[in-house]
Amino acid sequence: MNRLLRAFFRPTQKITATGVYTILVIAAAAMVLLGWFLPWFVGPFSEGVGFSPQDAISTAPTGIGTILLYVTGVCMLIVLLSPFVEFTLRARHRALDVRWDMVRAAASVVGLVLTVVVWILVRWINEEPLFGALPNGITTDSAVWLEMYGFGLAAITYGLKRLVLERPNVMFVVGVLPFGVLLPLMFHQAPAFVLWATQSLAIYMLLGLGLNVVVGFAGLLDLGYAAFFAIGGYACASLASPIHGVHISLWMLIFIGAAIAATFGAILGAPTLRLRGDYLAIVTLGFGEIIPDLATNNVFGLTGGPNGISGIDKPVVGSVNFGFNPQWFYWSLLFFSVVVVIMLLNMQRARIGRAWVALREDEVAAAATGINTTTTKLLAFAIGASVSGLAGAFYGAIVSIVSPDDFQFAVSIAVLSIIVLGGIGNISGVILGAFVLTFVIFWALPNLQEWSATLGHTFNVPAISGIDFTRYTFILYGAALIIMMLFRPAGLLPSRARKVELESGIESESLAAVQGRA
Amino acid sequence: MTPVEAHTEGNGAAPAAAGAPMLELRSIDVNYGRVRALRGVSLTVNEGEIVALIGSNGAGKTTTLRTISGLNRPSRGEVRLRGVPIHQLGAERIARMGVAHAPEGRRLFPRMTVRENLEMGAYARTDRAGVRESFERVFTLFPRLKERTSQLAGSLSGGEQQMVAIGRAYMSNPQILLLDEPSLGLAPILVDTIFEVIREINARGGTILLIEQNALLALKTASRGYVLETGNIALSGPAQDLLTSPDVQRAYLGM
Ligand SMILES: Nc1ncnc2c1ncn2[C@@H]1O[C@H](COP(=O)(O)OP(=O)(O)OP(=O)(O)O)[C@@H](O)[C@H]1O
Ligand SMILES: [Mg+2]
Repeated sequence: MNRLLRAFFRPTQKITATGVYTILVIAAAAMVLLGWFLPWFVGPFSEGVGFSPQDAISTAPTGIGTILLYVTGVCMLIVLLSPFVEFTLRARHRALDVRWDMVRAAASVVGLVLTVVVWILVRWINEEPLFGALPNGITTDSAVWLEMYGFGLAAITYGLKRLVLERPNVMFVVGVLPFGVLLPLMFHQAPAFVLWATQSLAIYMLLGLGLNVVVGFAGLLDLGYAAFFAIGGYACASLASPIHGVHISLWMLIFIGAAIAATFGAILGAPTLRLRGDYLAIVTLGFGEIIPDLATNNVFGLTGGPNGISGIDKPVVGSVNFGFNPQWFYWSLLFFSVVVVIMLLNMQRARIGRAWVALREDEVAAAATGINTTTTKLLAFAIGASVSGLAGAFYGAIVSIVSPDDFQFAVSIAVLSIIVLGGIGNISGVILGAFVLTFVIFWALPNLQEWSATLGHTFNVPAISGIDFTRYTFILYGAALIIMMLFRPAGLLPSRARKVELESGIESESLAAVQGRA
Repeated sequence: MTPVEAHTEGNGAAPAAAGAPMLELRSIDVNYGRVRALRGVSLTVNEGEIVALIGSNGAGKTTTLRTISGLNRPSRGEVRLRGVPIHQLGAERIARMGVAHAPEGRRLFPRMTVRENLEMGAYARTDRAGVRESFERVFTLFPRLKERTSQLAGSLSGGEQQMVAIGRAYMSNPQILLLDEPSLGLAPILVDTIFEVIREINARGGTILLIEQNALLALKTASRGYVLETGNIALSGPAQDLLTSPDVQRAYLGM
């Protein structure tokens, strides 16, 4: 049986292995680069450059800092540019066979060590303790952390390339999980960023994981997924706020919310059982419209009307009140996301996962092989919805207020974009998609104005500072989606099914419909 | 081959000596909306025999098979499996009771590998040892599939797909195998291979209801046959008799 299972999953691994490798390489490069330039991008632009470790050291009397800095820069350039050099050399001189990965790995290790040395030097020169914020260092900590993490990740990815290709999933976790855990510490000087990671990234990642069960695994196109998010969010808000005088702990509520959302998932799923593709999409779209409307109309006096429910309780664990600092929420969400991912991975491998795939591939044949299509579909809806119930419970607790505006159609579409962009049906892809898309929507686009202002100020080009990005936000969002889908039509980390489909033209009825709509 | 083996095999196979009724259809009517596809169809398949159901395009052959496996509901009449009425049950229940259907057009799971498709055939089974045995049996029946276990079903040739379709149905270790036009679109040599396998399965005691356009081949393989004409059973009897019947010869054998 074990051999069977392995045979079952071998092709998947082969395809995602290079994908994971590429992702890790890109992530490492992005972090190194971002760490280097972060001081230019974040923080009040009136201050401009001046808080980076580079400056701190180059102004140091010894001069040794400057040298170290240049060497670090060279390491960065090797890591960033050598793939292109390798590519051009490969094309021209086949004989020139350098072990590029080893070169890059070595450069990464040197870069990592030097960054640490620079870090200590900065502290020493400023007569500061080794840990804790610098008095005037708005983004210094984050920059150095990013730099160190980027170099470290590059060292692992290049140095252990074989391992990455052999065990992509393990190495993906090894590479990404520490970043996930350390994020609030790395960015403790940028609370807005931690808030983004909690309220946007983590919540949408959960939503993506849930919707992926319905759309990705079972092939049922759901355009109204925000409805379940709303149901979970409202259920938990009304049980932990002054509105009805009920105050249940969040740790109970996440299960209650998940159970309620799952129930509604099954209830709303039932009438759609006989529908497929486009028809199913339209009906779910209807649900997505009805639920926030009911909330607006204060249905049964439960939902507080257009203003929603406010004053939602903050969870307390021991002596820690989660309050308005997102970091404890962040870690709790991270924990539950990991639990959800493990559960979903197991389901995907279990009988139910196979049943979902069979259902997606050919419903008639699935029924003829003894799969109960009714319960299989309802389970997909219920499990998918339960994850959004969990997300809804947390969402209310984080932002303290839920209102109909939080659950509009745009939410359903954003979640769907996440899974399409990341790779329908592939859990790692969904995680990555959530990261990329929430970064674009909820961090990059809102901050574009400030970044361009800083840039224009720094280089003294008023034209750049003058662009009014707020008017172009949606155009840029759309353009970003189009560009990403053009370059990776099967998603960033395609599931095997999607990859195969695009390469060989094999297509199944239901997924064809999903693509047409998505 | 030793005489003893020949003896036991003779006992087990004995296609002509029909066993107890495995499958019975009694006055089945099936409607598609206002169109009546089957009217009063009755047929019986006995344990251990191959029964051929022949008829021209649109006669209702596929509808008959779909009704047996629960994909269509009869508006009148009953379907019994070993005497148990099954026409009210869902398709998955019927499949679990041992009715395996290799549907028209094969309907494989295109983006699963050959092995995964076969595994799906054994989805309802819990006896791992038996499943492993069935795998071996399928690979002995279709050695060609063994080389292609990790190829995606959608990228197989038509003949190979048909092999997977029959193999998948066989993987459920069925009481009765329903085959819908297994020779459709195959080159003659492959058709021979497929029919050899059908005979082989039957020789090991398998009960088969076979639909075919190729009436000659079907009737040569089967022990009994039914002729379906626009939703009615027009003729039935031992395959030999049908082969020599002037009506059948004119209409289906092109003589
Ligand atoms: N889903 C459907 N809706 C309406 N009519 C149908 C449907 N399926 C089949 N029919 C009709 O029922 C009749 C019998 O169809 P069926 O598919 O059983 O024929 P068949 O004997 O298998 O033909 P063929 O040899 O061409 O496969 C045909 O007239 C067909 O048009
Ligand atoms: Mg037919």
